[in-house]
Amino acid sequence: MDEALKTARNCRHYAMCKIDFLGSGVCGSGSEKHYVSYYPQGRMDLYAALAEQKIPVTDKCVEIADSCDLCGKCDYQCCFVTEMRPSLVMKALKAHVANHIATGGLVEKATEDHLLREIRDIVGDEWATNDRAIAVTYAYDPCALAVPKMPDYVVLPRTREEISALLRLFKQHDIPWVVRANGTNLLGFHLCVGAVIDLNRMKEISFDENNWTVKIGPGVAAFDLQRAAVQRGYRVNVAEAAAMVCGSMMSSGILSLFSAAYGTSADNFVDAEFVAPDGSWFSLNEKNAPNLFAFSKSGRQTPGICTSLSAKLHPMTNDEAGVLVPFQSLVETLGFAGDCAARRIGLAIGVLGAEYVSAFIAPTRQLAADAREIFEKRLGMAYMVLVIGDKYALRSITDMGYPVIDQRLFTAISLGLPSLKSASWLDLITELSADEPFSYLKIRGFAELAETALAPSPARLAQETEPELRAFYEQLYARPEMTNLVWLNMFRITSTRIGRAKHFFPLLMYLPLEYPLISAMCAGFTRIGERYRLKHEFGFVTPVDGGKRCIYEYDYFYDQNDADDIARVQQATMEAGALIEEYSTREGTIRWLKYLLYQGYCRKENLLYA
Amino acid sequence: MAKNSSQTFVLTGATGFLGSHLMASLLRRGDRVVVLGRGSAAESLGARIDKLLAWFDLQARSGQIETAEVDLLKPLCGLDPDRYQALCTKSGQIIHCASDTRFSEQHRRESIATNVDSLGQIIEFAKNSNAPWFHYVSTAYAPGISSPYCPEAPVGSDRFVNVYEETKARAEQEVAARCTMHSLPFTIIRPSIVYGDSRSGRANRFNALYNHVKSLYYIREIYLNDLHDHGGHKSGAYGIYQDDTGVLHIPLRVAVAHRGHINLIPVDYFVSATLSILAHAKAGVYYHLTSDRPKTVEDLASYCESFLNIKGIEIVYGSIATADFNPPEALFKRFVEPYLPYLSETRTFARANTDAATAGLSPPEFTYDVFARCMDYAVRVNWGK
Repeated sequence: MDEALKTARNCRHYAMCKIDFLGSGVCGSGSEKHYVSYYPQGRMDLYAALAEQKIPVTDKCVEIADSCDLCGKCDYQCCFVTEMRPSLVMKALKAHVANHIATGGLVEKATEDHLLREIRDIVGDEWATNDRAIAVTYAYDPCALAVPKMPDYVVLPRTREEISALLRLFKQHDIPWVVRANGTNLLGFHLCVGAVIDLNRMKEISFDENNWTVKIGPGVAAFDLQRAAVQRGYRVNVAEAAAMVCGSMMSSGILSLFSAAYGTSADNFVDAEFVAPDGSWFSLNEKNAPNLFAFSKSGRQTPGICTSLSAKLHPMTNDEAGVLVPFQSLVETLGFAGDCAARRIGLAIGVLGAEYVSAFIAPTRQLAADAREIFEKRLGMAYMVLVIGDKYALRSITDMGYPVIDQRLFTAISLGLPSLKSASWLDLITELSADEPFSYLKIRGFAELAETALAPSPARLAQETEPELRAFYEQLYARPEMTNLVWLNMFRITSTRIGRAKHFFPLLMYLPLEYPLISAMCAGFTRIGERYRLKHEFGFVTPVDGGKRCIYEYDYFYDQNDADDIARVQQATMEAGALIEEYSTREGTIRWLKYLLYQGYCRKENLLYA
Repeated sequence: MAKNSSQTFVLTGATGFLGSHLMASLLRRGDRVVVLGRGSAAESLGARIDKLLAWFDLQARSGQIETAEVDLLKPLCGLDPDRYQALCTKSGQIIHCASDTRFSEQHRRESIATNVDSLGQIIEFAKNSNAPWFHYVSTAYAPGISSPYCPEAPVGSDRFVNVYEETKARAEQEVAARCTMHSLPFTIIRPSIVYGDSRSGRANRFNALYNHVKSLYYIREIYLNDLHDHGGHKSGAYGIYQDDTGVLHIPLRVAVAHRGHINLIPVDYFVSATLSILAHAKAGVYYHLTSDRPKTVEDLASYCESFLNIKGIEIVYGSIATADFNPPEALFKRFVEPYLPYLSETRTFARANTDAATAGLSPPEFTYDVFARCMDYAVRVNWGK
């Protein structure tokens, strides 16, 4: 397989090329055309389909290829997350199409059928298509549970009224539909042979500061909303940077480390508006609205399409900072995280495994592997608890006697990663602190010593990246926010690095923050992962509701193009699902996220306790 | 040189520094050794002993060793009755070296378990196996700090520098009481701080004395690296520089409470003296394996400076406010803090019993040559990594 096809087939669909998370700009054609097909992510799928002769060269195919000016912005973005270079695929796509035309190949023109005409009458000609080149970019999902389905139509409505009209039309013609906001879905739920409704054009952001809310359209990504909020001095509780806020709310109720303070599900919004499947619309604040605040343990059908969300704004203080508190064992780690939650210390709390921490801070796969080896094996930091809070919260943690990696040391480690592996003094500090693990972190001036020893610098870190990108990465890492724990966790631009080497399937659930239960489930997931020869990792735990419950993630990793890997991860997730069901039945306190799909607007109390 | 009539010794702590050297010497002279111990998370006891035999170049003597993985906190030492009984029939003199040498109060429970609670089972084993002797390897510091003079006699103090001294003192009392109750002859052997072999410099553990030097070694590495590769800006801020002769000047104050000594003996002396004591043991007698020519902290600082090619170590009597420490001082202090009391030791140790049992055998003087030989070896083997 040529390198371009290999890269194309490995697109993770994380949609990071659709947001300007590095300040390096976004693909111009994508921003203009809105179909995912005009973004690098779509072009990756399109090239793979063309190279594997799954679709013919069409009108839109030529337009999509032509619309790429090979600016290279996608390389910065994709490389940051996955170390892949999409520009290789962009070039291959343009060459493929040019060669096809140069050799007299046929360029097919999609034929407008009667239904497409009706759809276009609603949304405008430009915003609906049945062209295979576009449809194919909505047909695939790297999730191991997804079965590719080529939609007949892709529609990009602009307003609630258009959505309403579309749903009435689809109902009238018995056309199945799914709605997607970022042209992707990690769990494979949103593939459909009928119509895909892409909400990418609905990007309104409207602040109501008097009422501490911001009203957003369903096409607003977490990063864009957070950026707008922060510019005004607020924070919102959002999911990963590229995740659509309304979509996240619908499918999971917003999972983030800030859920420790801001809560989850209905805690995060004041109101939301929907178009129901029959085309009618309602807002959750209406007395006679469907009761989306309820939660059903057996799951629920979609209540319709969320067309706007009034999310809560939270205040920020100018003394916020983050610390990482290292631990040797899960029992100590969960105990500390629970203690912080119960004492209401911190705004964001997350128990992170060594794999997560390493993946998040390292710009390359190799550095991440080195960092993990160092944290876990040499320093004995099997787990870390990230706490973000104001100076009083962070002072409480040191008053409690815990050694911490503070912001200054975190920056030194992040920018000094290349020197960390060869730092022989790490053995010394570990060995001489055996009586009190990590007590060296309490040494006055330790961060400065680390700076002396690691000589952290953006230039040195950039040397570890690909030669053509080094200048960019040096500038990028010179920006303070790139190593700022608060910023990184508000904007969550490194979360998707967890899937840098391989795609992953997350097992997510709410459950009591109790070591015996989490440990037993973790052991079960581990056994399953081992049995199916999959890379598997403890993900994270975040306390919610004062530590009475928590969100827990465990991950299985797999090669999205390896049939054997996919078969094994399918088996593993099935067994892991059975394990979750078994514990759920026995304990009565576990809520598997699978059942939260379409119920993310529920009351947290209904979700966790009812 | 092997003896004509070999004996059997039961040894605990054989994977530790002192125990392993005793084991090696017993094997070399032809004795049989029954090792009671534990595996680690990564290795069985047998595998750990095999590695030690290789380190001592004694693989050929492996036939003289029998190992048994035991738990001295469990009845029958955690063994099944048949195995326990079989070991009892093979037993001989018992040398109890196993010890938790950590000083930290945080590990008090583990220290008490290892150093005190385990005695019940090992002495019970001694009784059941009709052991002719029970030798307990303690520490010269078990007598505590109530009096500056430490006689070769039972502990009379209830004040100690740390939990290690305290638990070793309690252990001595337990040994005396239990052995007396069972009419089991016992000795208490109290070494001071033990470093590597004074003749070869070899060691297989690099704690205690080595921690000071190791800490300085790495601090020096950090600042040399800063000076050579990164412009030395961090070094300059604290007056750290390298002169034309290559000497690294690093202002580093070490605060000790008062003037005193550091009492060090080499492991070769520890072994020779202990074997001599075993051969001439008197029941219920305490033996101090200590140096009668201890060095001062200034001597040690001077050794370190010469060995590491640094200057700037300043011994301060009293205390230094934490806020005044520069980063290398703070790091050094953290690492050597538990050992600081032993750098300015004022306790003196009686040695009459030891001199009598060892025919006046004395530890060699801790000269710079001995120091450098030991540290050269430590650096050569990367501090045992």
